[in-house]
Order: sequence, then structure tokens, then C-alpha cells
Amino acid sequence: MPWDYSDKTRQLFLDAVSGKPGTHLGAIEEPDGVGRHGSIACGDAMEFSLRVDKNSDDPRQDRIVEARYMTFGCTSAIASSEALCRMIEEKRPTPIEALKIRNADITDYLDGLPPQKLHCSVMGAEALQAAVVDWAKRRGVDVDELGITPELLEEDEGRVVCRCFNLTEPYIRRKIKEMNLRSLPEVASAIKAGGACSACQHEPGGLQDILDEIHGKDRGDDERARPQPPQEKHTERTPYQLAKEIERVVENQVRPRLQRDGGDIEIVEIRDKLVYCRLLGVCATCAGSVQTLRFVVEDALRQEVDADIRVISV
Amino acid sequence: MTKPVIYLDNNATTAVAPEVREALLPFLESQYFNPSSSYDPARAVRDAMENARESVGRILGAGSLTEVIFTAGGTEGNNAALSGALAANPNRRHIITTAVEHPAVLEVARELERRGYRLTVLPVDKSGQLDARDLVHALARDTAVVSIMHANNETGAIFPVDELSRIVKETDPTIIFHTDATQSVGKLPIDLSDKLPHVDILTFSGHKLHAPKGIGAMYVRRGVRWRPFMLGGHQERGRRAGTENVAFAVGLGVATELARAALPDESELVRLQRKLEREIRARVTHTLINAEEAPRLPNTTSFAFEYIEGEGILFALGEQGICASSGSACTSGSLDPSHVLKAMAVPFTAAHGSLRISTSRYTTEQEIDTLIEILPGVVASLRRMSPYWDQSRDAPKEGVDVMVQDKFNS
Repeated sequence: MPWDYSDKTRQLFLDAVSGKPGTHLGAIEEPDGVGRHGSIACGDAMEFSLRVDKNSDDPRQDRIVEARYMTFGCTSAIASSEALCRMIEEKRPTPIEALKIRNADITDYLDGLPPQKLHCSVMGAEALQAAVVDWAKRRGVDVDELGITPELLEEDEGRVVCRCFNLTEPYIRRKIKEMNLRSLPEVASAIKAGGACSACQHEPGGLQDILDEIHGKDRGDDERARPQPPQEKHTERTPYQLAKEIERVVENQVRPRLQRDGGDIEIVEIRDKLVYCRLLGVCATCAGSVQTLRFVVEDALRQEVDADIRVISV
Repeated sequence: MTKPVIYLDNNATTAVAPEVREALLPFLESQYFNPSSSYDPARAVRDAMENARESVGRILGAGSLTEVIFTAGGTEGNNAALSGALAANPNRRHIITTAVEHPAVLEVARELERRGYRLTVLPVDKSGQLDARDLVHALARDTAVVSIMHANNETGAIFPVDELSRIVKETDPTIIFHTDATQSVGKLPIDLSDKLPHVDILTFSGHKLHAPKGIGAMYVRRGVRWRPFMLGGHQERGRRAGTENVAFAVGLGVATELARAALPDESELVRLQRKLEREIRARVTHTLINAEEAPRLPNTTSFAFEYIEGEGILFALGEQGICASSGSACTSGSLDPSHVLKAMAVPFTAAHGSLRISTSRYTTEQEIDTLIEILPGVVASLRRMSPYWDQSRDAPKEGVDVMVQDKFNS
């Protein structure tokens, strides 16, 4: 995929990677709030920490003066993290004001992101929110006052819809409303849900159902009928006795002979008169293994069991 | 932007060899005649095509020139191989392939499954290798075609196609064995007459061996039941309709001659591969090499750098003029890491941080040295940013594995 990143995104990434002064990589020691979003399993993760200038009269008037991040992710994930910290330090908002920063603000700051990379900016906004909630707990600010819907705090506990990225129904619902996501591709681009195995897109209670419910759409008759694979005709003609005979001969005659020479044999499968086997031990690496199979194994089986038996080396 | 380009992505495509370019140009200029035409000037064009066919036949070890069909590339060849094999055996409904095939096989097989065929996808182990026993168990009475690639494009792992095709054909000679040899033609010696007598259909693409994009060839063994995929003309003895891409076919002929002549020099590629892997390992901790235990192509190394993301590596290398590729989710445009690495169960601490280096005979030692010089710094700077990496110990943070495991189990 080509890198259609803006110059701003490219520059922020390169600055951050090269550790240019003024970039915000790192973790604040003794922070006033820490928030995380994503996981290594999902391909990107961010840890966001902040320090505030404390207002002794009213903690709600604290001002964020320092922001730092650690990010595992692609070019745009790292640029988004850097952008978020810059935006915050430029504005020095109160934590409650900082909550107003949405992923769209990060995207704007970066002069846009390719649609399939939108989730990188969402990750920044989510980590920031988590850090603010953490700050509120530490500073004794009533979380309700933050104006965050209670479901945000509980959404880790809801029913998991997207199993690839471990995303719960309350989280998905909130993001669909917040970002006005209208379609499955939009949902995948913005929050990754359904973007990997896609199993949750059309299952009952899955992403399409959630989208339809939120946007009040009729499901419609878009279920494409798939042709059913033809039922395998099970012409059960496995000569069970034949297989047993083969196993008996291998066990009683062939194996002891091979074992005398330090080798062994494994029957991989018996299918009618085809016997798939694998020579083991010294036989496996012996240059004459093909002959061994033919003259020892095949001959014994042909004589003792059935003249049409063929042995195939595996 | 004026930095010289160091091109280390030859499994994606290759530079057109100067000799190839020279050879094909006349067929875009004065030699434009339709090879099917009956007048004299067309004869020279026809002859040039047949010379090219001979060259292609030679690199494959084909027994007869009628076994070589020009195509538009690997994807067409793979589509034609599967669809044509099924069309020729309408009573058979079962397809076998592997989890690590190129999408030009895997997606075709999945589409055929949607149309009602049964599909068995063979798994690979952690080192990217197949267990022949799985193939044995999968073979059924109504198996029509088995399609197993010769060498994997992402990891370079080579499958023992000689053994696997033998097992298939000894079981049932009617089953068609196809191998996608896009990554191996020109990199590994191939001899369909002697060493691979059980392979029925082989497909490959020209642009992986210094021919232009848009040309390839398929080998269909004489006597194999197969129906043409492209209809509507008598060209290629009725097996691939459409006016021939003469210029590029001529180019492919020259490219295969060059590749055949260069094959003995593959030991140079192996030397560079060993050096690259040894030096990067020595300089970067927590580095895995995907499919390391498997026999591999001499030109391919798939690194996995744990705890960082591959797209960032590519971007940073790109800034230094180094072109490579990654199987990370963020590079693919999908959100999933490559299906090949997933099939190999590469731990996801590493799957996202993969970097594929693929060389060609034009790659110089100096270019590899430059990569060895630059890459460790890139990995280090990205790890410095990673919340899973402990900078002070230069090791992953304690508990990351547990965290990842929890995530996996939840």
C-alpha cells in the first residue's frame, strides 16, 4: 500500500523516531493521569501520561502542562501520538477541556489521514480520555462531572462483539454514534472492529445489526444465498477387515524386521488397498528406503493380505 | 529525495534486465506483425515467439515445446490452472491447497468453494512447513486438483513439491497437481522432465525474474486433462486465446536465458543472505527469522522484530532510500497481519514487526552492508517508543508476555 501520508504526518513521525528535541516520547515520572488504549495483539497500542499544574482551590481548574506517550504502531499511530501531545501542550487545557479533543481534531492537526488509518487517531483520543478519567480518580473529581457517559467507564465489561480486537458492544455503539459511522468499511477504518476476520460483521448481534439498529435501517434482503456445497456421498466401502489385516502384518512381520536394523515404520493411513507409510529411525535416512518399502513392506503385504496392495512412502 | 534507491523487494517485482529491454524493443517498433498472419514479415515474429518458448521450456526442463503456454502472468496462470483442471474433471468436486498460498491461488480456491466445490486448506507448522501426512489424509476419491506452491513469497520457505506431487500421483494419477512457481523459477533449478515428473501444471510470472510485468508462462504436461481458461482464438494451439504479447514473450525468453546462466551464482546470494542474517541478529536482540528451520530461497529473509510495528520500519527505511516490504497489518491495507505469518502461528509480539528483504542478482554487497548499518538504529528507535519495551534493560517489559497471553485467552 502506498504511503499517502501528509507532509505533516511524515515529519512528526520522523521527528519522533529521531528523538528530535521538543518531541514527546516517553512516560512522565509520577504522572497525574495515565491512560492506555489498544494492545500488542491488535497491532497498535498507546500509553498516554499527563502532568497538571494543580489548582489548590479547585482541582477542576488544574491545567495540563505536560503530555507524553509510548506507542507501538505504524507511522500514523506514532504521528497521531505526537500530534496529540503537541495539541495539548499548546493549549494547556484543563483535563475536562481536553476531553473535547476528538480524533477528528488529531486528524486535522495531521492535515488528514488515509481512511484506513483513522483508527490511529481514534486510539489517541481514547488513551487521552482514559488518562483524564485516571486523573479524576486521583484528584477526587467526581467522574460524573466529566460529562462522560457512564457507559464509557463500563464499556470494557460489555459483550465482546469483535473478537479479533476485543471490542465490546458499548464501546462500538459509542464510537458509531460519536463518529457517525454508517457502514461496515467505515467502522473497520475508524475503530478496526470487523476489520480482521470479519466474522462479527454479519453474525446475529454483530456490527451490521448494531449499525442498523442505531441508524434505524431495515435489514433488507441482502442475505446472499450461497450455493450449498454438495453433500459428500459417503459410499462406506472401507474394508475394515482389510485394514486390520494390514495392520496385523505390519505389526507382526514388518516392524520386527525393521526394528532389528534400528528402524521402524509408521502407518499414516490405509485407504482400501493403498497403504501410506513412513519409515522411521535409521530407515528414514537410509538411501535404500524406497527399496525397503517396496521389497520389505509391499511384498509382505501382497503375499499375506492382498496382491493388489500398493505402498506409498510419505 | 536524491538518495540512490537500494532495492530489496525483488519478491514483489524486479528491474527489467537491460538485455531483456533491448531484445523486446524491435517488437514494439518494426516487428509489429501479428504472428498469426500468413505473409512473410509475420514469420520472423512467429519465429521469435517460438525461440522464446524454447528458452522458457529450457529453464523448466520441459519435454516438449507444446507444453509451454504464454500467459499474462502468475495470477492468470493460477486462475487457469485451477479452473481448467476442474473443468476437465467435472465429476470431481474437491480441491486441496495450503494456507500460505499466494492469493492468486487461495482466493480462487475460496471462490470455487463458494460455487460449491469442497476445499481443504492444509496447515503449516511454526517453521512454515507442510506435513505430508496432512496431504495424505486430505486426498479424497473426488479430489480434482492439488495446488501447492514451490516457494513462499513472504518467507522464502520451499515446499518439497517433488515428494508431495509423487504422493498425489501415486495415489491417483487422475488428480491434477499444480504448483505456483512464481517465486522459484530463476531462483531454484527446476527440471520437470527429470526431478519433478509428477507435476502436471506449473505457473510463473516474468516480472519476478527481470522480464516486464504482464507476461508469464504456464507449463501443462502433455496428456494432462485440462481445459483452456481464455477462449476465443486459436493462439497457443487453442490453449490460450488472444493475440500474443510478442514483445514481452520475447523479453521473457531472454530473461529466462539470463536467469539460467546466473543460477550457478546463487551461492553469492546465499552468502549475502547469511551475512545479513548473522549481522542483524548480532546487532538486534529479540529478532526472529520466519521459517528459519525450513529450506529457503537464497534471496529471501523475513525478519520479525518483536514489540514494534513493521510499517514504521518500512517508512523509516524508505526515508533512507531502502525499499523492502512487511507482512504487518498496517502495510497490507487490511487490519490483519499477513495470512502466511498467521498460518505459521508467529507470535503476535512479532507478527506485526515483520520485514521482508528480497534480493536479486543485481543486489550488491555494499547495499546489504548499508542495510546492516541502518536497520539496527531504526529498530532501536522504534523500540524506544514502544510501551512494551524497557529501554533501560534493552528487553521487553516484564509481564508483557503475560499481558499478551491474557489478551489471547479473553
